[in-house]
Amino acid sequence: MANTETALKEALASIEGATGAALVDYTSGMALGTIGGGKTLDLNVAAAGNTDVIRAKMRTMEHLGLKGEIEDILITLTDQYHLIRLLSGRGGNGLFLYLVLDAKRANLAMARHQLKKIEQDLEV
Amino acid sequence: MTVTQAPPPLPMRDKARDRTAEAAAREGVGGLSPMLTRLAAERATGVLVREGGALYLAGGLVLHAESPYAPGIGTLLTAGGVLPAEEWWRAAGIAGDLPGTARLLLAGGRLTPAALEICHLHALYDAAYFALAPSSSPGRFHYGPAPDADGPLPAVPVAAVEREVLRRRALLHRLWPDALLDGVPLLRSTPVAAPGVTTRQAAVLSLADGVRTAPDIALAQGRRVFPTLVEVRRLAAAGLLGTPPPPGAASPPSELPDVDPHIALLKRVRDALEAL
Repeated sequence: MANTETALKEALASIEGATGAALVDYTSGMALGTIGGGKTLDLNVAAAGNTDVIRAKMRTMEHLGLKGEIEDILITLTDQYHLIRLLSGRGGNGLFLYLVLDAKRANLAMARHQLKKIEQDLEV
Repeated sequence: MTVTQAPPPLPMRDKARDRTAEAAAREGVGGLSPMLTRLAAERATGVLVREGGALYLAGGLVLHAESPYAPGIGTLLTAGGVLPAEEWWRAAGIAGDLPGTARLLLAGGRLTPAALEICHLHALYDAAYFALAPSSSPGRFHYGPAPDADGPLPAVPVAAVEREVLRRRALLHRLWPDALLDGVPLLRSTPVAAPGVTTRQAAVLSLADGVRTAPDIALAQGRRVFPTLVEVRRLAAAGLLGTPPPPGAASPPSELPDVDPHIALLKRVRDALEAL
């Protein structure tokens, strides 16, 4: 059981290579909470922009008639990983966790696993 | 003998009104309500009442917002299945106010802090969207006593609320530039080539009966109002949703009814071109 601030703090502290995290509502693109990111990455802008990624993928899946749900989306840049995890809890409809990782230090499998755990901690 | 008739002229849109709305959407932070900006600067505590709703301020921060057009935190929690309605009302009856209710539910383990916080922020920003909507009458501010400082519901800076309201306005404007759709009764229309709709859009369409407005539909579904506004604008852009003709305003006999699919299509094409 955690509030959003502690959950995001934990994400940054426990996930190796994490440099920023945000909890975002993807119907409005609003970041409900952000941590890290620094001067180089405005997480509010990233949050709003990545809602379009999710929306596009959802629309495509609907057109294709795919029944599965999106668990996470991974975007690999030359020096960063961006991991998007959609929250599936009963009250979590329409939210996603957004995690920015330093590609040199991160362990993707571990990051995915830990992000899943943080989602459970949020219990939304 | 056949009489050829010129097609009826398309109704003109009030461009001046549209432009003001557009300009307002582009205005910078602080352009929403000069009064709110001033109150934030003087770190005021009290309630700002405007036509579309009210903002509760404490020390220049927004504690809470409410609007008759946006479902409150209680509705969101109970309709979404997070909490049984009786639990909410029992706690609300004992505590009497929102922070107290929240504290009781948290203490009883009925609610997690994150779920409460997220629901609170959703309710706050949705209500603020309506409370800060352009209005014809000025707002009033009632200074009040400071509430207890360590309430379980997070307060947000005025600047964040203003930024978010403007962003939402711009987002809706991009989908379909008609802010009137936020508050008028909605009716399904039948376009010539109807595009497919998503499950959620179908649910919105099934409730558009010419009486319900977008907030009414959100309330009927127990959903947040903003996603409903988004779907309504998308459906309007697709020509699937419109406003019913005003009662009593009988069209001249020579004019084709407004629901003619071809006229409706032309109007949409014109509106879309104008919006470019």
